[in-house]
Formats: sequence, C-alpha cells, structure tokens
Amino acid sequence: MTVAMDKSGGAASNAKHEKSLVVDGVRQFFGTKGAKVHALSRIDLVIEPGQFVCLAGPSGCGKTTLLRLIAGFMRPTEGQITVDGRVVSKPGSDRGMVFQAPTLYPWMDVRQNIELGLKFQGVHKAARGIESERYMKMVGLSDFAERKPYELSGGMQQRCQIARVLASDPDFVLMDEPFGALDALTRERLQEELLTIWRETGKTILFITHSVEEAVFLGSRVLVMSRRPGKIVLDEPVDLAVDGQRLPVAELRSAPAFVALRDKVRDAIQASM
Amino acid sequence: MSINSTAIDPTAAGDNPDEIAGITPPPPARWLRVGKSPWITRLLALVAFVIVWWFLTTPWSWHEGKPIMLPLYLPSIPDVWAAFVRSMTIHPIAAGVDRMVVGEQGYYLWQHLLATLQRIGFGLLFAIIVGIPVGLFMASFRFFNTAAEPYINFLRALPPLGYIGLLIVWFGIGNTSKIWLLFLAAFPPITIATIAGVRGIREDQIHAAQTLGAKRYQILSKVMIPATAPDLITGIRVAVGFAWTTVVAAELNNGIPGIGGLAYASGTELQTPLTIVCIIVIGITAIILDSGIKALEKVIVPWRGKA
Ligand SMILES: Nc1ncnc2c1ncn2[C@@H]1O[C@H](COP(=O)(O)OP(=O)(O)O)[C@@H](O)[C@H]1O
Ligand SMILES: [Mg+2]
Repeated sequence: MTVAMDKSGGAASNAKHEKSLVVDGVRQFFGTKGAKVHALSRIDLVIEPGQFVCLAGPSGCGKTTLLRLIAGFMRPTEGQITVDGRVVSKPGSDRGMVFQAPTLYPWMDVRQNIELGLKFQGVHKAARGIESERYMKMVGLSDFAERKPYELSGGMQQRCQIARVLASDPDFVLMDEPFGALDALTRERLQEELLTIWRETGKTILFITHSVEEAVFLGSRVLVMSRRPGKIVLDEPVDLAVDGQRLPVAELRSAPAFVALRDKVRDAIQASM
Repeated sequence: MSINSTAIDPTAAGDNPDEIAGITPPPPARWLRVGKSPWITRLLALVAFVIVWWFLTTPWSWHEGKPIMLPLYLPSIPDVWAAFVRSMTIHPIAAGVDRMVVGEQGYYLWQHLLATLQRIGFGLLFAIIVGIPVGLFMASFRFFNTAAEPYINFLRALPPLGYIGLLIVWFGIGNTSKIWLLFLAAFPPITIATIAGVRGIREDQIHAAQTLGAKRYQILSKVMIPATAPDLITGIRVAVGFAWTTVVAAELNNGIPGIGGLAYASGTELQTPLTIVCIIVIGITAIILDSGIKALEKVIVPWRGKA
C-alpha cells in the first residue's frame, strides 16, 4: 500500500471502527491572526464501509474544506482524521477524489486517464485494459476511449473522472459537488448512474452537494452542515425501501418517504442559516 | 483556414493568420482588403518593396546617369542576385582571372548557414539539457530559487556582445566559445519558462495524481513535465529567437564558416551585395525556424489553451 500514515493510532481507533473513516474533533482555521477564518467548528463523524454519505450545506460552510482534510491535501488545525485506525497525513490511493472542476489530464486520452491509477500502482497493461473497458462501459464512455478530455462535454468529463477514481479501486470515494456545474437533465441522469454504480460496487462514498434534493436522492445517510464555522447539525439515515425492497432508481424521486425526508433536510438547513 | 469565410465576413476572428497570441488585429480599412487571401496583400507589399528598391538603385538620366542610392549603400537587385549566385557556385576569384574559388571565403553559402545552424543546435541542446532541470529545481525548492534567481536575471540582462570577449579568453576562439555564448543566451528563457510552467500547474492536478497512488517520480513524469510542456515550448521558441539574434555576435571573431561571420566579414570588406544576401538568408531562416516550432507545438501540445 502506498498510503503513508502515522503509526500512532489515535483515540478513535478502537476495534469497533476498524475500516471506517473517523473524523475526530476536527477544527479548521485559515489565515493568520489578523484575518482568521474559522472554517470548521468541530466535526466528529464516523463513516462506515459501504455507506453513501451525502453532506449538504450552504455554500461557503466548509464542505470542501472537510473533504480536502479527509483526502489528506492538508492537515487539520485541531483534531485528527483516521482511516482504518491510522492517522491521515497525506493523500493516498485508498481515498479517491472526484473534484468539483474536472481534473483530467489533457495530454492523455479518456482511456489513459482512466487507467492512470492502475498504472501508478504497477498493474500491467493487459489487466489495465480490461479494467478501463469495464469502467468506460459503466459510465458510458466506451465510444470515446481515444478522445482527449477537452473534446468531451462537461458531463462526460465528470463521468470520466468518476471512472478514473473507481478504476483505481479506492476504499473511499470523495466527491465534491461533481454535478454542480451541469444542466438539470444531465445532472439527473448522472445521479441515477452514480446510484446504480454504488449499488453495484458497494463503494463507500462521501458526496458533497449544496442541493437537498440530490443529497436525499443519492445518500444512504444525509448530513447537514451549518453555515460557517461548519458543524454537523443533522445526521439522518435514509431508508426509502418499501417492504425491505430497494426502490428502483427511477421511482425514488416520487416516493412519499423521499419527499418527507427532503422537506426535513431542507428545514434543517434553513434553521442552521 | 477557410478562405470563403474570410471573404464573407472579414470581421470574423479565429481563423485569421495574422492573429498573434490571441490578439486579433482590427480588420483593415475597406480599400486595403484586397481579394480573399492575406497572401495577395503580402504579394502586393513585396512587389511594392521591390519596385522601390529598383527605383532607388537604377541609374537615371535625370540624376546624372547615377542611381539615387550609390551601390555601396544599397546595391541593385541584379548585383545582389549575382552575389547570391557567386556564393553558391565555384567561380573565378575575379573577372578575367583563371583561379577558381568555392562560394565565399572558401565555403558555399549553404555551408555557412549549416555551420551556424549547427552552433545554434548545440547551444540550444545544452540550454535545454541544463535549463529544464534547473527550472524544475528552482520551482520545487524555494532555497534554490532564492539563491539562483538573481544570477539568471543578471545573465538575461547582459548583451551577449558584453561577454563574448571573456568567453574567448576562457574557451579560445574556436567553436567552443561560440556554443557557450549561444548556450548562455538560450538558457535563461528556457529556465524561466520552466519555472513559470511548474508554478502554473493547478494544485489539484498534483492532488489527483496523489489520490491515484502516484509516487514522486510518477508525479514528475506523468503530471509535472507534460503540464509544463506548453510553457516549455514557448521558452524554447523565445530561446531560438534569442540565440539567432546572438549568432552574429558569436561569429564576429573567427566566424567562418558561419552566416553571421560572413555577414560581418562582407560588411567590413565593403561587399554590400553579399551582406544583403546574408541578411535575407538570416531573416528567412529565422522565420522558417519559428514557424517550424509553432507547427511542432500544435503536434506536441495540442491541448494548449483548451484545458
Ligand atoms: N485555503 C484557504 N485559505 C483561506 N480560506 C479558505 C481556504 N479554503 C477555504 N477557505 C474559507 O473557508 C470557508 C469554507 O470554504 P469551503 O470549504 O470551500 O466551503 P464550501 O465548500 O462549503 O462552499 C470559506 O469561507 C472559504 O473562504
Ligand atoms: Mg465547495
């Protein structure tokens, strides 16, 4: 494994949370004494394997900050984040990231972008080819394998990013408003595709959005963050199953439970503002 | 580019070959918009230029049978052509003398040009080999940058003529000092472009690679170097231009064979037609080199400006 982590386990690393992602008393400040920004107030959070956690909140409340801390792009001012009992100190291939603005490499075509994680991990060419075919098919980019990212639409670029992260097989997929810049129709279609992919792969996903609708539709658990300094003010499991049966993706939006939960989350966000 | 679209809508930007680095020149006045292609305008300009040249260098009866400009200052077109032909052939050393010589100063014109291109090639090659790693280092380590930046700027500010004498003392009058000079001229733009390229990399492009499990050397080879390539090619383009304008200085002493040396020597020997031949060759070669790099850029970094 290429992920570097501290040996020290930290307080949260008890056996119960093994394989989970634990955010333990994290606070984040930006800037110097003069112009200090208090971005995160105090976040305590446990994400269990297999969950699809949606984090909703008003813009500027610190959602991206939390995600970047989990990804290991920076260290929290206070507290710590642990994965599998080990403190996160830098980025690693166990935590894949789908960036808000598509971050594909324009010097590689779609296939090369998708295979990149496997290449970094030393997987040989034939095996990479099989994996990239599979994920290109999953996100509907099979016909665009030889295209360059700048030849794709915004929605296709996001799909390519998602395929790239999934192909590198991380334990956690972190997504920062990946559909935020897309038109409503593309957005809905990608949401449905993502939900299907999650049901197929069982990945642990932390998905950030400022849309309540999106959070409730996608998540198996919805978190609401208050305005800055960000704090989690609602933590709600989403259970839209009817008689223990998962609803087909296409029917979710009209389910009564969906509407009720959406209103509840909306109220929570409004109350926090 | 589409010739028709320019004809229908002369204000349409984008396909305009006169466009330099995203600056669209305003459309020319109506009466200047001759025909459909800029090449017709260019051809007309060339014809006008040749007519003026011919007018100034032809003997006129109303001017005491002399040209307006004396041949020593501005040779006539046939004289320049003759000098060009002489420089490309084996010819008598002087009219009516039997002894034959090759081209000018013992070399054909193309041999002079080739010698110069070789020097520039070596100077540039070393500048690339040294400049890119130095730029990468300076961009990656603050200490190295703080220490080296003043020297790079100092070197960049110096006119090459200022230090060619020193280089000759150090490396002799042969090729070595010339290649050193061209190297020193080409090195700062390449280093500076590399630094700009690395600094311009989006942080998230590095982060993305890290979350995909990239090791340090993989980030360098798969992300940093390709991301820097567009700036690098710009740097090389600037460096070639710089080296080319430095070449006459590099060949002032013992610069034969060499097109710059020949230009200088012919000037001191008052062979003005040959000087003009050299100037034309130097200018045209510079334009060809620059267009070559521009064409290469389209192949190597097709994503420039798109991502
Ligand atoms: N690197 C930074 N330096 C200074 N302030 C920052 C930085 N990153 C984020 N912030 C501030 O922290 C707050 C939360 O930002 P962010 O996490 O991007 O919010 P969100 O993603 O919820 O819209 C904002 O006020 C933002 O200006
Ligand atoms: Mg954000």
